Amino acid sequence: MDTSQVEVPLDLIRLSLDEKVYVKCKGDRELTGKLHAFDQHLNMVLEAVEETVKTTYVDETDGEERVKRTKRTMEMLFVRGDSVILVSPPVRTHQS
Amino acid sequence: MSGSTAKRNPSDFLKQVLGRPVVVKLNNGTDYRGTLACLDGYMNIAMEQTEEYVDGKLKAKYGDAFLRGNNVLYICAQKTVKK
Repeated sequence: MDTSQVEVPLDLIRLSLDEKVYVKCKGDRELTGKLHAFDQHLNMVLEAVEETVKTTYVDETDGEERVKRTKRTMEMLFVRGDSVILVSPPVRTHQS
Repeated sequence: MSGSTAKRNPSDFLKQVLGRPVVVKLNNGTDYRGTLACLDGYMNIAMEQTEEYVDGKLKAKYGDAFLRGNNVLYICAQKTVKK
């Protein structure tokens, strides 16, 4: 992405309008969806959202801690800004 | 005082590190390493070529990343390689 026109951090979000974005939220939640709107609080409206929730649990068989990922999809979602940690265009490489 | 001239404040430091490699630590302990693109009065941060470290392990990479200011614990300037 061309970041030459980014002068304040919120410009980066503005450039992602109508694009797919990745949002990392508090409570080990991750969202990907098309960014419809946002404001200075980072309240956001996302369309065609996939939410991934990570929960840790103790495996009964060996007593080890495991991470479970629960996914769900939503047509349209309003995200309250105070739960947002990070926003990024989703061109990224994830490592486990 | 070591280094430069008289009165310096945190804003001067932040202006100085713009465009430089930094480590940003969040309140939840996560580290982000990358180039500081810009920041505002809320300490919202835009970074480039960002790497996410959880417990010291690289977890993800982002081309561009926006960090919401309320999560920021500190911004640490990395030493640049002398040419």
